Order: sequence, then structure tokens, then C-alpha cells
Amino acid sequence: MSLAIAGMGWVTPLGTGVDSVWERLLQGEEASATTISEKLVDRVYSVFRVPESALKGISHPRLRRASAISRFAAAAGLHALESAGLKLESQNAERMALIFAISNGGVTYTKRFYHEIVGTGAQAASPLLFPETVFNAPASHLAAILGVTGATYTLVGDGAVGLAAITMAEELMANEALDYCLVVGTEEIDWLLCDAYRRWRLLRTAPPIEPFSKQNRGMILSEGAGAILLARDGFVTIERAHPGGHFRRRAEAEKILKRILRDLGQIEIDFVISSANGTFVDQAESQALQEIVSNAPAYTFKPALGESVGAAGLWQIIVAAQALHSKELPPVLHADHSVRLLLSLSRTPIAGARRAIVLSCGLNQQAAGLRLAIQ
Amino acid sequence: MAEADRPKSTNDPCRVVVTAAGVVSPLGFGLAETLESLRCARDCVTPVMRFSVTQCRCKTAGQISDLRLLARHAQIPRSGRLHRASYMMIHALQELVTQQPEFEPELTVIGTTSGGMSYGERYYRSLNGAADLRHAPTWIANYPAQKPVIDAQTAFDISAPCHVIANACASGTNAIGHAFECVRSGRYKRVLAGGYDALAEMVFVGFDSLQASTPEKCRPFDRLRSGMVLGEGAAVVALENLELARKRGAPVLAEIIGYGISTDNFHITQPEPSGIGARQAMERALDGAQISPADVDYINAHGTATVFNDATEGKAIRALFNGVPVSSTKSMMGHSLGAAGAIEAVVSLLALQHQFLPANINYTASDDDVDLNIVANEARPAAVNVALSNSFGFGGTNASLLMRRLEA
Repeated sequence: MSLAIAGMGWVTPLGTGVDSVWERLLQGEEASATTISEKLVDRVYSVFRVPESALKGISHPRLRRASAISRFAAAAGLHALESAGLKLESQNAERMALIFAISNGGVTYTKRFYHEIVGTGAQAASPLLFPETVFNAPASHLAAILGVTGATYTLVGDGAVGLAAITMAEELMANEALDYCLVVGTEEIDWLLCDAYRRWRLLRTAPPIEPFSKQNRGMILSEGAGAILLARDGFVTIERAHPGGHFRRRAEAEKILKRILRDLGQIEIDFVISSANGTFVDQAESQALQEIVSNAPAYTFKPALGESVGAAGLWQIIVAAQALHSKELPPVLHADHSVRLLLSLSRTPIAGARRAIVLSCGLNQQAAGLRLAIQ
Repeated sequence: MAEADRPKSTNDPCRVVVTAAGVVSPLGFGLAETLESLRCARDCVTPVMRFSVTQCRCKTAGQISDLRLLARHAQIPRSGRLHRASYMMIHALQELVTQQPEFEPELTVIGTTSGGMSYGERYYRSLNGAADLRHAPTWIANYPAQKPVIDAQTAFDISAPCHVIANACASGTNAIGHAFECVRSGRYKRVLAGGYDALAEMVFVGFDSLQASTPEKCRPFDRLRSGMVLGEGAAVVALENLELARKRGAPVLAEIIGYGISTDNFHITQPEPSGIGARQAMERALDGAQISPADVDYINAHGTATVFNDATEGKAIRALFNGVPVSSTKSMMGHSLGAAGAIEAVVSLLALQHQFLPANINYTASDDDVDLNIVANEARPAAVNVALSNSFGFGGTNASLLMRRLEA
């Protein structure tokens, strides 16, 4: 069974709206980094944030106290439905499932809630904040906004979780009682996350992200959401979602990526949307791509938009769908020209492109892939 | 999965059976200890020692002994760094693998709410000067929700891709329910499913701040109920296509026959008061199983013992069922959140296998608003052929699982 993309929504540090963000990527634009600090610790990090203006017009009583992650998700989800021309009413709301992909979740409220406990004691803990710390809070808000009364799932994982959510959507859509599945990947930034990833030697303190560099200088975190409305018919189809698997050590990532590419690359592939982000992921993907699909150009948006972790997989699919549709790949920014991969270093026409692989290698041992096709 | 292995038609669902299970909870390590505690209606809720609860209303929880939990250190590589949630998953999976060494899942679906939360707490406290940060990379690496699942799979050389569902307190039931649907549809032949959660200060204080937890005994469905107590643990089940399980001679512990999920959208922490969400989940499970409410012999209720939750679930059960025995085993072991649905599925499995009704302990007085046939205070023998297990969570997520006894 293949599923089709019926609509997409995108909230990114380069703005909101699939066509608008896509055009900016094609132009070779890069999001502006801002710095993020914490009162208690004298250390500053660079991040790519979603501009305030990107969420204009998104209001609902459920979002009044909601964290940024929930608002990003709501905006992307509503855009995806709008782009598909779908208005949910009680009858078709029953025939839609909602799947969220999240990695770090509502970390800002979680930190604030725990900060009160650490600083003042349990009696200071806010009953208003606590529910927003739960992983499925963003999904709950969007389900309420849309009136979804059936299956709502929140999947948690690393950067590959967005692709896992698509696999799950395939599994749910095996049930013919469903017409649609809205898959949303979302993430928000907090200083605490930056510090955690730095201690784990995955983050650099200032841009750029240099993809496929041998130095692995690290990534810059970003935030936002991506939403994809899946239906049974449409122009761009998900031919196959590969559930991938996990690797025990970073050195083993390459092996599983090769397996995914081998399985998905049994037919001609025109390009690959990689998850390279300036970390160990890049070498693993580079080796796998060189060995399995060396003739297909590769693109990563992460130097332009940053590493949005739980949202990243959905962003990759949006990029792949847009590239299949527009027959162009944006330039890979800040790439090492000596890299032995076929990278789209400038805006590259891909006339006749019909199939793409989305490859996702997470930072916490998970990897997955999928293959998109255009009719 | 190869295209050829996929189902020919969704109209031709496969039957799904449980061929092995593993559990660790405050009731005990393994199925045998759990069964013994259930039969004795043992109260396994104890004072919290893991972190300070002096400022909390509630001071108790269902807890797992670290002494036993960490006893397997030496056998697991880099085990000193793992979160206790990983050990819970390892213990549960070890029991399953011991029963079914040949079980090779194609997919793993596990529910949780908190992952390695206590490591996140340590990291944050250390940033605030409470301790040095030398171990921070270890805490950070072991914090993600998927880590205990990967650790457990690694310990037993299982390489299946894993989906970690975080649907609040319904996570465990959602995980088993989704796994059931994956096998029923024919997309998968063997799926490992379950749930885990380890007690964490932030979560404990969170429920306390909502005044959802009680300073007294946990009394589900009782007129004097005053709230929940938290718990912890892990449980896993091996789900297989019945035909294939029989072909390879695997023992069948029970059949899963239905799963229902609903979202009620009423409030992020409160259930819809009429019980429509809970009722829809149960109805959908019954519809999927093609059985009537009269066929159900036992309901393992969500039964958190909060005033609203029990009233809502009571209404939903009353609307569908007529006098079916009901108990909430959370009264014995606390509410283990993402693990609860999985542990309670195992409890239901034991009820089916051993033909008894687990007790709802600390029950003193019936509530006219929650007029149910409660299995009060003592387990009792009964013919149990079909059991229903409910789980409801924050965000209005509701899940119900139906299991049936299957003679060999």
C-alpha cells in the first residue's frame, strides 16, 4: 500500500508556508542565528529560532497557555489541512488519525516546572505547567482544535522519529475506516537542550553547520514543525517507508544506513534528502551514499534551517516532495567542495526526477528511510 | 518487510496471540511473583525514599527494589551507566525471552511517559550547583525515551525497529493495541510490545501539584477515594500471528481480540465527564472483536482512584456492561503511567490463565455514583474467558484492550 501526500504545512526559522520556505531554500538563504542564554550559567549558544511573525493568526483557547512546541505544531497542522482543501467536520474527523513525532518535547515548560521544585520546593510546583510537560500535550491540543476523536498517537525518538511516524501512518491506514492521517513533527529550543547536546559533543556554539565535513564540528539546533496530510491518492506518493532499526554504537550507523539504502534503492533513485548535520551522522551517511546510491545527488537543508530533531524527518519529506514537484534541488550550504559525494552545491535542475529517498540517521541510535515518487 | 509478505486484504484479519510475557512491578519480579501477589491481594505501596517528599501531600508509591533490579549489572555491558528504566525493561524482556528464545520480533512497540526523567533531573540539579557535571554525558545519553528499549533489545540481541509511544497514561495499552493491529492486518507476523516507566521526582510532584495523588491509601471506585499513588515497572508481551505460532509449536497464553482508541478533546488533564471517550474506546474494542458486552467476564479498570476519573470510567462501564466484575489493580501497586497498560494487560492475562478475579484492595464503601460490581479486597476464583483492560490518559487519550482465553 502506498500513501499519498495530500497537503503539507511548514513552520521554520526561515518563516512559514511550504512554498515560501522552499523558495528561500532555492535562493540559497540561511536562517539567521540568534543567541540563547541562561541566568544560572555563563554560557551562550547560537540557535535558529522561528520568528514571532510566523505564528500570526494562530489562536485557539487550547493554545492560550500552550508552549511554543504546541503552537508550531498547530500552525503546521492547520496549514497542511488548508493546503489540501480539507475542512474537518464531525464525520470526516472520525476518519482521520493524528500522529506526532517528537524528540525533546516541551522542554521549556519542563525546565520551568522543575526549576520551581529545585529552587523553592515541591509546594511551588505549578499545576498549570505540569500538563504541558507531557509528551502528548501538543498532539492533544491539535486533536482538540481539529476535533479528531479517533486515533491520536505521539511517537518519541531521535531525528529518525518523523520517518517512524510515517511508518506508523502506513500501519494505521491499513484500516480502511481511515481516509487521512495527519503526521506532525515538532520541536522547540531551549538553552538546556543546547547545553545537553554540547556536553555530548554534538553541538557547535556558532554557525555554520558544515555538512559532510570530516571534522564533525557539530550542529546548531533549530525549532519549528512540519506537517504532512496523508491520503490514499495524490501527486506525490510514499512508495515505501522503511522502519530501519537501531545501531548500538555510532560506528555501526553506516551499516544500517546501507541496509536502508539497499532496500529502498532497488529501483532508480534520482536524489537523496540526507540528514547530514555536521556530526558523526555525516560520515555514516556519506559512506553509505557513496557505496549504495553514488549516482544520485544528495541534499541536506540543515545548514540553512538547523537541526530540528523531532521535526527534521517531516522537513526532509517536505523538501523531497517539493524537489520532485519543482524539479530542482536547493544548494547545499557550507559544504566541503572536496567531499566525494554528488552534492547539489548550487541550485540544481533535476528534470525528469521521479523518485527520491529520504534518509534519516538520528543522534540517539535510530535510523529510518523512505522512498517518495511523483506520478 | 517484503511486498509478498503483506496481507492480501484488510478484510481478512489475522488472529493475534500472546506467546510469552515478562513483567517487573511492585507486585514482583516475573509472572509467578506477580500472580502470587495478585492472589494474596498484597498491598505493595510503600513510603517513597528515592527523593524528598516532605513538601508533597502524597508520600507513598509502588516501588521496585533497586537491590534486585540492579542485580544483573555484571552480565550487561556498560551497565553501570544505564537508567533504572533500562533494568526494568531488561528484566521484563529476559523473562519473555526465557519463555520464547525463538521469538524474533519484526517490530517493537513500547509505551512510556517519562523515559529516563530522573537522569534529566540530576543533570538539571547539577547545573544548579548541586553536584559536579562529570557524569552529565552519561545522564544525557540515557535520558531519551527510546534508550531503555534499545538497551533491552541490545541485551538480548534483538534488532527490530522500535516505536516508542508516549500517549500519557494510556501509552502501554496503546503500544500493545497498535502492535495487535500490526499483526492482525498481516503487515507483521511477530511484534514485541509493552510499556515501562520509572518513578521520577518531577512526575511525582507534578501529580501532587494537581492534587491528583493522595496522602491516604489508594481506593479506586470507593466512596472515600481521594486520589492515586504512583508506581513503576515494565511489562512486555510477544504478539504473534496465531497460525504461525501454532505452526512453530509456540505456547499460546491468550488471544488478543480487540483494541479501541479514542480521543475526547475535553481537557488536557480531565476526562470528558459523561464518559463518552472511555465508552468509545471500549465500544471500539468490542466492535473490533465482534463480541457483545455480555461476553466480557472481567474488567481491569483504569481506576486511578481520583474522584473524577473513577466517576467517568464508572459511568462508561455502567452504560455498556451489566454487572461485570471490575477491579483496579492500581490499588495494590500504584499507577505506573506508561507501563500501567502493559502491566495490567499481563494481570488480565494471568486472570485468564489462572481463572481468577484480581482484587481492588482498600475498598471500604461503595459509591452510589460509581455503581459497579467491584472485586473488593480479595481475589476470587471465577470463570474468566474474556477480559477487558482500560487505560485513559492526559490529553483525553483513551484505550481499551480485549483478551480471550484460548485453549491449547
